[in-house]
Amino acid sequence: MEKMFKLSSGIQCDVLIVGAGGAGLRCAAHILEKRPGTKIIAVTKVSHPQKSHTSTAQGGLAAVDPNDIVDKPIYHMFDTWKGSDCMADQSVVRKIVDAAWEEIVWLENRGMHFTRDEEGRLSKRTFGGHTVRFGEGTAFRAVFEADRTGKGIMDNVWGEALKGGVTFLDQTILTELLFKNGCCVGAVLFMEKKGEFVGVSAKAVVLATGGCGQVFRVTTNCRQNTGDAHAVVLQAGLPLMDMEAVQFHPTGIVGPGILASETLRSVGGILRNKDLEPFMAKYAPKMKEMAPRDLVARAIETEIREGRGILNPDHNIEHVWIDLRHLSDYVHEVQIPEVSGFFKQFMNLNPRTHLCPVRPSNHYQMGGIPTNSFGEVQKSPDTIIFGLYAAGECGCASFHGFNRLGTNSILELITMGRFVGERVLQYMEERAESLPADAGDRTFSQFAEYLENKNEENIEQIREEMRRMMTENVGVFRTEEGLNTAIRALYAWKERVRSAALRCRGLQMNQELVQRWELDNLLSVSMVIAQGALRRRESRGGHARIDFPLRRDEFNCHTLAYMTDFGKIRFADQRVDMSIYEAKGENFEKFGMIERKY
Amino acid sequence: MKESYSLVFNIKRYDPETRKSWFQEYRIEAGRILRFTDVLRKINKELDPTLSWNSSCEHAQCGSCSVVINGRPMLACELLVENAVEYFGTTTFRIEPITVAPALRDLVVDLEKAYDRVHRIRPFVINPSRNPNQGQEYRISPRVMERYLEATRCINCFCCATACISSHKGFIGPNAVIASLVRIMDPREDATEERLKLLYSNEGVYRCHTSMACSNVCPKNIDVAHFIGMVKDGDF
Ligand SMILES: Cc1cc2nc3c(=O)[nH]c(=O)nc-3n(C[C@H](O)[C@H](O)[C@H](O)COP(=O)(O)OP(=O)(O)OC[C@H]3O[C@@H](n4cnc5c(N)ncnc54)[C@H](O)[C@@H]3O)c2cc1C
Ligand code: SF4
Ligand code: SF4
Repeated sequence: MEKMFKLSSGIQCDVLIVGAGGAGLRCAAHILEKRPGTKIIAVTKVSHPQKSHTSTAQGGLAAVDPNDIVDKPIYHMFDTWKGSDCMADQSVVRKIVDAAWEEIVWLENRGMHFTRDEEGRLSKRTFGGHTVRFGEGTAFRAVFEADRTGKGIMDNVWGEALKGGVTFLDQTILTELLFKNGCCVGAVLFMEKKGEFVGVSAKAVVLATGGCGQVFRVTTNCRQNTGDAHAVVLQAGLPLMDMEAVQFHPTGIVGPGILASETLRSVGGILRNKDLEPFMAKYAPKMKEMAPRDLVARAIETEIREGRGILNPDHNIEHVWIDLRHLSDYVHEVQIPEVSGFFKQFMNLNPRTHLCPVRPSNHYQMGGIPTNSFGEVQKSPDTIIFGLYAAGECGCASFHGFNRLGTNSILELITMGRFVGERVLQYMEERAESLPADAGDRTFSQFAEYLENKNEENIEQIREEMRRMMTENVGVFRTEEGLNTAIRALYAWKERVRSAALRCRGLQMNQELVQRWELDNLLSVSMVIAQGALRRRESRGGHARIDFPLRRDEFNCHTLAYMTDFGKIRFADQRVDMSIYEAKGENFEKFGMIERKY
Repeated sequence: MKESYSLVFNIKRYDPETRKSWFQEYRIEAGRILRFTDVLRKINKELDPTLSWNSSCEHAQCGSCSVVINGRPMLACELLVENAVEYFGTTTFRIEPITVAPALRDLVVDLEKAYDRVHRIRPFVINPSRNPNQGQEYRISPRVMERYLEATRCINCFCCATACISSHKGFIGPNAVIASLVRIMDPREDATEERLKLLYSNEGVYRCHTSMACSNVCPKNIDVAHFIGMVKDGDF
């Protein structure tokens, strides 16, 4: 069977960018502005770069305007550090926050349609966790493009990349990274449309493949976010960092998991259980519905676990209600038209007269492929691998630590995307390498196995069972028992899926084949999340252990996880960069191991 | 209210290996608020894992899942079972790929080919105008933006281009036109002349005969024909 596969004639380029979302294309645009004519290939798994998931980000991106008389970068750094539950790397926090406004101007000058005030300047809004004077007042720090900020960014960076002459490979997946003399020299890609594998040699490879939310049954993430690059990196013997740090949004719309924004709660929406009891008062007597994301998510999950949830028959998922019926017409029409529209569109109900079903939905992966503040991928706590970079949600620099603040992610994409571009420009001048002789072997044996098997297992079925189990045992709440159950189940599925036979045999545009491969990636990523969560016997940010409810100082370090054999993980610790604190400058004490209390 | 529906999906299939295409019937039971993408996934799980279809965000923000349902181009992720039954007055649905690009397999088309039209209008600021506030944002009044902002909501789902008869006869298509119009009206763009050259060429707006099909099918409710009218009238 393996003979059926070959690498079609190789492609050479200067820079291979895997993932044509916000991070990948910001990087491409920077390189082309500084060094026109650079040969860049940008690969995307979706049908066109504009379809990348960045397009769906709604709210906004945080950046301190130097003309603002109250807000200051140091406040933004503090909010990020506090939000991260003292796990963000401070060198990265400083670098991103300091570069933020420049990036806003870059985007605006190239045509992004930001929402404006009457003077024609960029409007700003406030978001949870963004404050001035170290928590004392509310910061108006997020610039935005109506309710489609991500789309604005995506359209813009795609346009700039196109203008600069990037070659795009759509509907193409990364299956293997290639190394020579310890440096990354290229990659193997599978071009789904042609059904062909190709080896690409590049002076630098940039990973920007986004999140891995499909690990969970209910998620705000797109269908393609299956942790592919995460799995490819593990296979190459490189580590992932802090994968147990997963963010759940409290109010995803049942069952697709579509994001129903915090605004619903800030305008007065009330959460109710099966008995219509307004339960938030039990969990946060003062703040009630306005408590932070993770607290609300845990309250909802507790209601569901204790039998006070409601089962949606169509999607077969339990939920609670958000009650918006008492809100005025003005609120419905002016303050929450889009979100209220989602309920109409995807649940067929009218929030003015009906209760709306919501439940916690997986939203963001704080962990990922570890890099330094230049986006260079790490091999170990203090060494990097030459030629390989990562930016965006798949990377972990780490700007968000164990909990991301809303609007900080799309800020990270564009800043880290540019930083990687800067680094690649320096590095690229030095070298060019041919591909190793065994390029593609690993991919071929993997894909041959998929096509050779003969059995009755249905991939979609296993995928669904796995995602449900991850939501139940490795989701909002975790316990030693639940995590062990999850780990055992993952081993069992890995065995079961080994013999799953494919019914669609051709290589061209074979959805079943790609989903089979994705399932392996999902299983690997799930295993790393579950074991990381088991090892971290504390609660911190998005990682909540019922059996260890407090944050513990002995865990003030990042988790590095290596896994070349399924399930056999080697862990290492990496210290958190506290350079702002250690510099002992003004207000340094705010950057110590502070409490995350709101 | 019915809890669940017995549906018949007649799906146009295409096999790139044999280059054969045919309609295949699937009978499936589906809950009332399942989206059509959920039903397709259910078909993969329960009936036929070989059926290929396209989607990404699945909440009407990316425009990847456009298909033609009983003759009407729509986003499959946005269509709920009970709404479809009510709208079309039937539980039988003929589902075909959109027609502005060649099919790759089943419902998946080569969207890159459709996008060629959008690439033609150069979807970026071609020649930036002078910014009086160097190093800062351009000042643009919300009043100025109001006139074209609706058109920036386009997600390039190509439903309009599929519905537009002229789009199949040499017209670059409604979504490409409005993408160019946005830049013509954007004070940051200086390349108006270059843009108009294409829009007034024989692939341009005069191919449009104002049937309004585009506005009618747009899942984003953009009044596409209105913007095309602005180009025809030179009303920027
Ligand atoms: C509904 C929603 C709302 C959000 N709102 C906000 C917000 O308001 N503010 C904020 O800051 N953040 C928000 N976020 C988070 C933010 O949008 C994401 O973290 C961010 O867009 C990720 O961007 P990226 O460039 O890293 O990846 P993406 O935009 O996901 O791009 C990944 C790219 O990689 C490609 N790819 C994936 N796998 C492969 C592979 N194996 N081979 C080749 N290519 C591959 C994909 O096709 C795609 O082109 C939101 C997220 C969601 C889901
Ligand atoms: S109004 Fe013009 S662009 Fe729109 S569908 Fe009709 S012919 Fe096509
Ligand atoms: S104008 Fe509407 S129908 Fe046409 S591509 Fe854009 S979003 Fe789709």
